Amino acid sequence: MTPFGHCLIMSSRTFCLSGCVLRILGTEDHIYCHSSFSQSMLCSVLEEVTGFKSEGDFQFCSVCLGVLQLSYRDDKETLVKMESPNDMALVIAELVKKEGHQIDGFSLEVSIPQFILENESSLLSGMKKRYESEPWLQERLLSKCVSVKDVLKFAITKPLETLLNTKASASSFRIRLAYTHKMAFGNSVERNQGFKRRKIGTENGLQNVNDESVVANKDCSDYPTNETIAVTGRSSLKVPIDKVSEPCHLVYLCYRTHIYLCGRYLKYSRNVSQTRWIIDEERMGEASVEEIIGSNILPMYRGDNYKFHAAGREDIDVRMLGSGRPFLLEIQNARQVPSEETVKEIESKINGLENKLVGVKNLQVVGSQGWTLMREGEAEKQKQYCALVWISRPLEDEDVCSISLLNDMQILQKTPIRVLHRRSPLERKKIIHWMKIERIAESSQYFLLHLCTQAGTYIKEFVHGDFGRTQPSIGSILGCRAEILQLDVTDVKMDSF
Amino acid sequence: MSDVMVDHTQKLEETAVPNNLEQQDKQDEEQPQQSVQENAEYEDEELHKLLVPDITQLPLIPPSAVEFNFASYFAPDFMKPGNDQYVYRHANGLCVVGLASTHLAFNDKGGITAVDFNVGKSDRSGMKVTGKRKKNAQHFESNTALCKVCTNGDSYIVRCCVKGSLLEVNERLIKQPELLHSSADREGYIAIIMPKPADWLKVKASLLSLEDFKKLRALC
Repeated sequence: MTPFGHCLIMSSRTFCLSGCVLRILGTEDHIYCHSSFSQSMLCSVLEEVTGFKSEGDFQFCSVCLGVLQLSYRDDKETLVKMESPNDMALVIAELVKKEGHQIDGFSLEVSIPQFILENESSLLSGMKKRYESEPWLQERLLSKCVSVKDVLKFAITKPLETLLNTKASASSFRIRLAYTHKMAFGNSVERNQGFKRRKIGTENGLQNVNDESVVANKDCSDYPTNETIAVTGRSSLKVPIDKVSEPCHLVYLCYRTHIYLCGRYLKYSRNVSQTRWIIDEERMGEASVEEIIGSNILPMYRGDNYKFHAAGREDIDVRMLGSGRPFLLEIQNARQVPSEETVKEIESKINGLENKLVGVKNLQVVGSQGWTLMREGEAEKQKQYCALVWISRPLEDEDVCSISLLNDMQILQKTPIRVLHRRSPLERKKIIHWMKIERIAESSQYFLLHLCTQAGTYIKEFVHGDFGRTQPSIGSILGCRAEILQLDVTDVKMDSF
Repeated sequence: MSDVMVDHTQKLEETAVPNNLEQQDKQDEEQPQQSVQENAEYEDEELHKLLVPDITQLPLIPPSAVEFNFASYFAPDFMKPGNDQYVYRHANGLCVVGLASTHLAFNDKGGITAVDFNVGKSDRSGMKVTGKRKKNAQHFESNTALCKVCTNGDSYIVRCCVKGSLLEVNERLIKQPELLHSSADREGYIAIIMPKPADWLKVKASLLSLEDFKKLRALC
């Protein structure tokens, strides 16, 4: 007897779990282990369909490839035969513990080779052909095939819930049993290439069949539908399922899907880059926003890794002030999920760091829609800046006035020379929405220029003109030479953040 | 006129209000308007303090963008006496080339009248370089002609000085040759060239630094 209480039915060419035959006929899961069909009847069904009869000892089921016999090869290539689904649940629980996961739920997934689905459809179509007039088959045709995945999941879930002391639910914590089979690769490549037309050659005299079967979805769907089977035009009664000498390879995986944190960051330093920046093994700047934020958040989640994404960027020597710049931090495979309070504590911690290089606002967990929110804002939104400008002659009241009158002014910028080595030579139209000059006491040639521009505008080049390649520029507007000494971003307008 | 300026000031305040303050507003029903306004003003002030520089720390005349971002080199009498040219090299390797202030063309009476990029085998102003890889850029030697600068009595050939890919020529010179007089070292640049690192090292050896060039030409 095998774990689910079924025997192997044997024929000389193939071995198949009686349970698999029942499954394919759509036996409901909860009575899977009890059958209204006798073993001998199932034997004869299989004989008739596959054409042979013989005896032997333990073999892998040709349909489910040993999956429902709880047999597999593990990552060390050892052959494993579990006694009951409980044992598999134990292995999983051990893995979860070893990885140090703290969970309040789990989602169990099973992935199996496409090959198994193909076997099921082969067997079913064979049986339909042979027994199409039989009433018991007619009844059965109305029910769906019970999938290998469901059987396994159903069997393992309850013991797993007990061992892990939590419920199975739609959770970000995923437990996955990934089955693969070597033979499946070889065949499925063939099958995928000759997707519509399939030639089935055999060794011992079965007819060659041009098979128009469309094995519905490439992505292991649970059921070959009745429609799909109907399309199968097999002219032969013989089902070409071969003996399987090797079980599947099984990998147990448990991981938490990405967790996203969003917020806005401020950069107070002119020597901190946004992301880690290393040239020839030397770091540029003294730190990066990415690393400061990531390294303070990752340990709280005990994750493997983090990825930092921001809505636009500023140069290393430009400060990010005011409302801050929206960012998204992706935490990979977190082992624990801290509370909302803890997240607020993290924000305070970062803002309280001694070196005061970076600040964070509105730090919170966000769902996967965080992505769309970020992308939405990037290209369209306006940015506000404050630049410290010097001009080659004293500033006049007229200048202050004329600058403030310019609204939604279009400028043309050739790709700045400082980025021309890595960007396409283009001429970009940009809009300067408004500008305001703020005089600086005790200086006639230095002043603060506040401006609001379209995203993607190169501010430095707009001030000094970049050899006249940005037209107009502050210099050309004021009719003198203009230089920029400092730049700060004072607002990144994005409503959703 | 002052009305217009007040408008802009208001805009500044509006845009400086961060999102979380608006949330606070919803919770605090007793003095909604006032506290939001106060908070916004406070944040503005704090921001403003960060923005205003310490004037005592600023130089009287700051270095120009070119001085700050480029290394200046000079080629005196390039291929011909009096043909003084500059090469400004950016940290990313790109070179801006043009006429040095001591170039003979500036001595001619009547000044520079025209700039013509149609020299050699092709019109340099006609080429289109595209893409990050700078496709279609022509590869030139250091003595390849870039353009002809004409005065009333004479004409002068300006050459690359640096072997490399020609990325861009200053087309504005065609319609505004006077840019060479007003600022030959900025708006009057001639072209942008991208040399390979090895080629740059070779040519660098033959170029003069700003200091050495000044000494040579006895400039102050």
